[in-house]
Amino acid sequence: MSARGRPQGLHLRPVCFSRQQQRRLLNHFISKAPEQTGQPIPFRFTLAVKDNIATTTATVNSSPTSASSDPPQPTPALPTTCASHFLSTYRSPFEATIVSQLRARGARLVGKTNLDEFGMGSHSTHSAFGAVSQPQSQSDPPGNNLLQLSAGGSSGGSAVAVATGEADVALGTDTGGSVRLPAAYCGVVGFKPSYGMLSRYGVVPYANSLDTVGLLASGVGRIRELIVGGGGGGQGGEGHGLWEEWDARDPTSLSVAARRRCARRREGYSPQEKERGVLKRVKFGIPLEYNIEELDPRIRDAWAKAAKTLQDEFGARVVPVSLPSTRHALSAYYVIAPAEASSNLAKYDGIRYGTRDTDSGSDATGGVLYAASRGKGFGEEVKRRILLGSYTLSSKAMDNYFIQAQRVRRLVRRDFNRVFALDNPLHERETFDLTDLDESIVMEDKWGPEEVDFLLCPTAPTLAPRLEDIMNQTPVDAYMNDVFTVPASLAGLPAISIPVPLSETATDDAEKSRTAGLQLIGQYWDDARLLAVAEAVLQTLRSTTSTR
Amino acid sequence: MGRIPTVELSRYLLTGQLNRRGCLRARLPRISASAAFGPSPQHRRFTSHVETTTSRPSDHATTAPATPVTPLRKQLKEQAKALKASGKKKKKNADSQTVPGWELTVGIEIHAQLNTARKLFSPAVTSFNDLPNSHVALFDLAMPGSQPLFQPESLIPAVRAALALGCAIQPVSRFDRKHYFHWDQPAGYQITQYYHPFARDGRVVLHARDGIAPEDGDRVEIGIRQVQMEQDTAKTTAQPGEVQWLDFNRVGLPLIEIITLPQIRHPATAAALVRKVQMLLGAVDACVLGMEAGGLRADVNVSVRRTEDVAAGKPLGTRTEIKNLSSFKAVEDAIIAERDRQIDVLEAGGIVEGETRGWSLGSTETRRLRGKEDEVDYRYMPDPDLGPVVIGEGLVSHLASSMGILPDAEINELVERYGLSSKDAMSLMMLDDGARIQYFYNVLDALEERLGLGGDMESDQRHALLAANWCLHELGKLTELSSDLGMTPDGECHVPSRDLAAILSHLHRKEITAKVAKELLWGVFRREVATGGVTQAIDAGNLWFKGLSEQEYAELADMVVHGEHKVVREFLRFKQGKLKAYPQGKLMFLVGKMMRTGPEERMDPASAERVMKERIESIYLLALDENE
Repeated sequence: MSARGRPQGLHLRPVCFSRQQQRRLLNHFISKAPEQTGQPIPFRFTLAVKDNIATTTATVNSSPTSASSDPPQPTPALPTTCASHFLSTYRSPFEATIVSQLRARGARLVGKTNLDEFGMGSHSTHSAFGAVSQPQSQSDPPGNNLLQLSAGGSSGGSAVAVATGEADVALGTDTGGSVRLPAAYCGVVGFKPSYGMLSRYGVVPYANSLDTVGLLASGVGRIRELIVGGGGGGQGGEGHGLWEEWDARDPTSLSVAARRRCARRREGYSPQEKERGVLKRVKFGIPLEYNIEELDPRIRDAWAKAAKTLQDEFGARVVPVSLPSTRHALSAYYVIAPAEASSNLAKYDGIRYGTRDTDSGSDATGGVLYAASRGKGFGEEVKRRILLGSYTLSSKAMDNYFIQAQRVRRLVRRDFNRVFALDNPLHERETFDLTDLDESIVMEDKWGPEEVDFLLCPTAPTLAPRLEDIMNQTPVDAYMNDVFTVPASLAGLPAISIPVPLSETATDDAEKSRTAGLQLIGQYWDDARLLAVAEAVLQTLRSTTSTR
Repeated sequence: MGRIPTVELSRYLLTGQLNRRGCLRARLPRISASAAFGPSPQHRRFTSHVETTTSRPSDHATTAPATPVTPLRKQLKEQAKALKASGKKKKKNADSQTVPGWELTVGIEIHAQLNTARKLFSPAVTSFNDLPNSHVALFDLAMPGSQPLFQPESLIPAVRAALALGCAIQPVSRFDRKHYFHWDQPAGYQITQYYHPFARDGRVVLHARDGIAPEDGDRVEIGIRQVQMEQDTAKTTAQPGEVQWLDFNRVGLPLIEIITLPQIRHPATAAALVRKVQMLLGAVDACVLGMEAGGLRADVNVSVRRTEDVAAGKPLGTRTEIKNLSSFKAVEDAIIAERDRQIDVLEAGGIVEGETRGWSLGSTETRRLRGKEDEVDYRYMPDPDLGPVVIGEGLVSHLASSMGILPDAEINELVERYGLSSKDAMSLMMLDDGARIQYFYNVLDALEERLGLGGDMESDQRHALLAANWCLHELGKLTELSSDLGMTPDGECHVPSRDLAAILSHLHRKEITAKVAKELLWGVFRREVATGGVTQAIDAGNLWFKGLSEQEYAELADMVVHGEHKVVREFLRFKQGKLKAYPQGKLMFLVGKMMRTGPEERMDPASAERVMKERIESIYLLALDENE
């Protein structure tokens, strides 16, 4: 692990043989909690935390079940590096709320996972600690040891930690798909909650208006149990769901009253509700605009098959829907997110914390304050986005870019509100013009097309690419991977990526073991039902594949 | 006078606490009475009850700042030195309000620190001279992952200030980030209200007594474009050798920025505006510290155009901004200097560049700081962590009704009811950040209690004038700097108001002489006279005024007049009509001689004059008449 510079991402390490070594070379952890010594302390699940979420010197066990004669063991503080050279030695004086919440539910922290610096990237290659690769690389043909696959980004390390089984649950952050994309590439489940549900206090911001804490696990059940709580069908039985917990320290965390108000208009939050037959009642929408030319045919097949299965096996309705603003969403995202990033990252100057450039004589090299420290501290991708954001916020470009992007953002949200049967509790009900719709949309009646409960679409346009190929991509190519995940982020909606098997028509074994990420998007605060449906869908799709 | 301390009001509005031992009933009518009917007979009565707050440590920080010694005096000395050195004669400001052929336009931005217990976006406590870096929250240092938490109590002084400036409070306002790198600003941006400020469209009325330029006549009105909330920066202390010390106690303290319309035409009026704004903010207890102590800072925007262009309806000239003016005088002088510079440039055929300039007290010219090409693009962006600020009508109307009487009404009252001069009334209002006037009311209440007077109902208000004069002039003689009096915002100082009232009650009843009264004042100030021990001290020192009897005065008069026939003849000439004016000078000469001859401590000049005049009329003139 090196803390200097980014070029490590370019040095692809040869794939080795032992499973242990293999894991190490995936480079998915930046720091690991020390092994337990003495009496093992009881815990309910292991937790890996993305390294842009603050952790501190915390005792391993804060649960009241431990005997008072056995004092809790302090562990050394794990640094919070954000995979940046700037913060390579930074130890946070406080712990993120989400980490405390999970520790209170029995989590044992196993380590801090690698990521794209400050969450900016789609392949977890822009890290001061080197690129992450994923375990599926093992199945590459022997002898070609450069065929490592991307773990996706920016929460690539967290997805890998789940895929290897080193963590039952991993925390990621999802700004424009940073949890869902790696989940899709690594064949695990990645969940991005409604904006404002999980506290961001202690999460180092990339773009505050889009940032959410996300959860990764091998199945939906564990995530559902944590979000909805014991009553929601999980095995835990005890403890409140995270959805209920307001954090006074995060100004964007929904108040308790707002949470209750939103939940009253949703199903799945109260323990009494039955969950049987949940699949039969729901309507899925297939967004036509997501069937893009660049979509990998294998993913398109898997998507079509999933739609068919849901319709045939369960009688769920699957209808086409139109989200006309989708094509502008990606551009809007890459204006808004870098703009906020350029502002958020202005605080890194190496004065109060982090790495300061002491080689150059002054902090004001060339008459610009902190220029040397910032020039050395940030990686290329971060610098690119800071420059991009600084430009779009400049007084001359503001109207054409930032303001315009905010308008697009509103249109994207409007699109979603129009196709969902449920209203968005944060906004007034709007009326829509039918002439906006694609002609291929079938009208249900004179009021317009059918409204749906969830959208079903791919998570990413391709399967996990080879790291080798990524190195030859332009940044814009990399940005393309976010095209299906960005719209839900712009609208603040809950979304989940689940792994579905590729079509059985696949020729070789390697192909057969691979999965595609399918994404379900729900209306705001419909997280509980989204998770219940995702769990059922995943089960259905897996069982239908295995029985054939 | 409606001076409910902001801390107390915050506690009431936010937590429903009323931290007073006194009577609630007495307080409420005052609020409505003064607000609804202006100066009313009752309102002053209640001001004496205002101070009963039990102080908590955090209150202490805001209500009793340890005012640092103002460096103004030093600055003025240096200024005088600089003037001497430059060999230029100081221009009379009165002469320099206008330049024939040119019109001046000035707009002002004033920054003032809100009077709150906590910072704007963190619960860290506000402090003034505490141990550096002892009140700093994670967010104040921009620690990664920390978030801003708007402190709603900041709204109370902010809205009061905006109301005092006649602004319309906006139901929804928002916070924006203003980006620039400086070591005193940890986040790399300042949170301010650029696009949607919380208050707009106010106005400030300036009267002649406020010190506006004579050219502006009796009264001029200046519009306020907007008032916004924003964060303060850290305090920098320069150390030898390019080292800067930073105190983050100040970072994030709540400020308001008040932006006027470009409607000011004369330098003196600009200074008057800043002074008036400070007075208004002080009157509603919205802000801490006076301008001279650094609590208020002003930036001025200056432009000029030829009068014929004004007539032709051409737009304003290019403006320059002069930053960081920290005294009223600096405001006026910097504007004059910058106006003259711009006119010189234009008359020489040049162009005024839009740029930022600086000014140091005592100089005669502004200096260029940075030009337009170096101007920072602040890249304003709505803060994505902070929601909109929604201010309810209920809060606004409550604050409006509890604001009490504003300074203009109060000055009118001091002048009309108590007979103070406008100048004295203004001084009383301005001194010690508004604490002096409160002290005056405390003294007056105690005095009336002692005299058994019915306060405002009395037609004779001579005792009030006496109290005002002493609170202003005699108290002022005690110390070189008024800050050394130890005046607290609730109107107490090293001379307790009750003790001054005791002295004045004896003086008013002519039980002691003015000389003795002054000595007693010094005694109380030096703690030679114990608190509450004024009367005892008079007893102990045998200082009671034991006036001469009429008989003794008469004898003394006779003694003095003896051998002054020439003088007495003047009175006869007046009586005979040979002299037009009564020879008052001659009379006073005789009275003076009388005072010197007699036991001064037992004599009262007024009585001496009266007796002397009587004696001349009734005895000597008759005698002269008979003789002639």
